[in-house]
Amino acid sequence: MTAITEFSVAIQKRVGRKRLLKAWKFLMGTVPFLFIIGMWELNTHFGWFPPIEIPPLSDVWGAIFFLQTDCPGFVAAMQQHNECNLTNNIMSSVGRVILAGFVGIPLGIAFGILAGMNRTISGYLEPIGIFMNSVSGIAWIPLAIVWFGVGWETTLFIMLNTIFWLIFFNTMMGVRAVPKVLVQGVQTMGGSYFDTIKHVFLPGAMPSIITGMRMSLGFGWRALIAAEMIGGDSGLGFMIFVSAVEFKTEEVFLGVILISLIYLISDRYLLVPLEKWTIERWGLVWKPT
Amino acid sequence: MSGEAKLIIQDLCHHYPDEYTGESVHALEGINLQVYENEFVAIVGPSGCGKTTLLNIVAGLLPYREGRAMVDGNEIHGPGPDRGVVFQEHAILPWRSVARNIGHGLELQRVPKEETRRRVQEYIDLVGLSGFEDRYPHELSGGMKQRVAVARTLCADPVIMLMDEPFAAVDAQTRITLQDELNRIVMATRKTILFITHSVEEAAFLGDRCIVFSRRPGQIKTEIKIDIPREERVWKDMADNPKFTEARDKILRLVRQEVTSDDEH
Ligand SMILES: Nc1ncnc2c1ncn2[C@@H]1O[C@H](COP(=O)(O)OP(=O)(O)OP(=O)(O)O)[C@@H](O)[C@H]1O
Ligand SMILES: [Mg+2]
Repeated sequence: MTAITEFSVAIQKRVGRKRLLKAWKFLMGTVPFLFIIGMWELNTHFGWFPPIEIPPLSDVWGAIFFLQTDCPGFVAAMQQHNECNLTNNIMSSVGRVILAGFVGIPLGIAFGILAGMNRTISGYLEPIGIFMNSVSGIAWIPLAIVWFGVGWETTLFIMLNTIFWLIFFNTMMGVRAVPKVLVQGVQTMGGSYFDTIKHVFLPGAMPSIITGMRMSLGFGWRALIAAEMIGGDSGLGFMIFVSAVEFKTEEVFLGVILISLIYLISDRYLLVPLEKWTIERWGLVWKPT
Repeated sequence: MSGEAKLIIQDLCHHYPDEYTGESVHALEGINLQVYENEFVAIVGPSGCGKTTLLNIVAGLLPYREGRAMVDGNEIHGPGPDRGVVFQEHAILPWRSVARNIGHGLELQRVPKEETRRRVQEYIDLVGLSGFEDRYPHELSGGMKQRVAVARTLCADPVIMLMDEPFAAVDAQTRITLQDELNRIVMATRKTILFITHSVEEAAFLGDRCIVFSRRPGQIKTEIKIDIPREERVWKDMADNPKFTEARDKILRLVRQEVTSDDEH
């Protein structure tokens, strides 16, 4: 055995093969990012594109501090002090996502369950659902501006409109796919109509509901950014738009990166654990090994 | 059989409407049947003769218009906890652990937690699933899932337990084990059971009484008493039990007649 294979076997024994494979997978995922950052640095070095088009990485980093220059500190930032530009915009966007989620997801689930269980209700709601889903979230922005003006009402409306119909549709489909025999089982044990919802339809539709949440987070986040750009007066989308108009490209880059990061984090730390705790534990999804 | 009739069915008929042809399917015709307390009644009959239809009517899952059906003296209207059903497919909930599936009936009936826990443990032990309390159904074999289904129904303590080909979906070896176990459980709990099967052997092995159905429209053709004490009903002794082989051959002949008369049409 050569020294290298010996070394490799020793490490595998110490760290565990599974953990190593996981680490390897993570490293593979970072390769494209590293490539982009490398090209970016090279551009800065050789000046292929001027800084006004692609600013140096250090400028983007510096933009964080520039935007927060007059912010008195962490506590002030949390209290949304006027001068804390960056954190205010982040909190504004994230806050809207959370608010829209808290309203739109339960509403979508409630209507989706009713429509999934009841042919009459779905007869009323299904066509308009298809109609609303086909007109993509952002197509409503101009009309929303006419109705609500520029500001948080418009952005919230766009988010809600996107989230509600996605959750509604996915929940309805999920409820319809629940095997009838599971419902009958609960009924023959004395379960009421409400019991069948709570014990069968809601958990049974969970895989579909989680898919709906995934889609909502993706489409909703994008719709929000677009809505903030055109019809908002705060938020990351608004910040990007204003910075671009003022040719502060490094702030635009910073905004885009933050948007992606926030999305990534909320997927990893909200939806993935939710999946683990529900449908994976129940064996309702295929688990890659 | 002594004791009172727990299930009474009188002149029951059933027609399924056919949405496409406008004609109706005549599934059951003039069924008269009583199941007495602590009795195990097995129903056999050719495929499509209306056995499931009958069971669904008794379970309250299928509304009926002609005839009467009563459980414990009450006319059947919709499903209720007095009639527990073990379905052919796995009807236990994937999102509930073994223990929570078995205790589900009691939970729905708002039985206090402490008592539920005690009774769940009792039935987990009875069906031999100790140690699997916190597992989820997807972690169990087909046979174990059906044990959970049986325990779930028993635990809710119904007046009558309805079973529709509960062991049809497991392999032959497991089926024999489950039949032996069911027998033991019946001895221990003295439940009143209406059991549907297409297996003649199963009917002869488990039933105190075996009802043979005719072809569709399902009618009761004959009924056969099987007078073997429960303690003697163990598969390994069945081959040289004359009462069993006699009953089995008789039922087999009757069912065959139904199937072959089908061919002559
Ligand atoms: N929902 C339904 N609508 C119309 N016809 C039905 C329906 N369910 C069953 N039938 C018909 O009624 C007859 C009896 O069906 P049933 O399911 O009761 O038979 P079965 O005795 O349980 O058969 P198997 O042994 O194959 O399970 C069959 O001919 C079937 O085609
Ligand atoms: Mg059947």
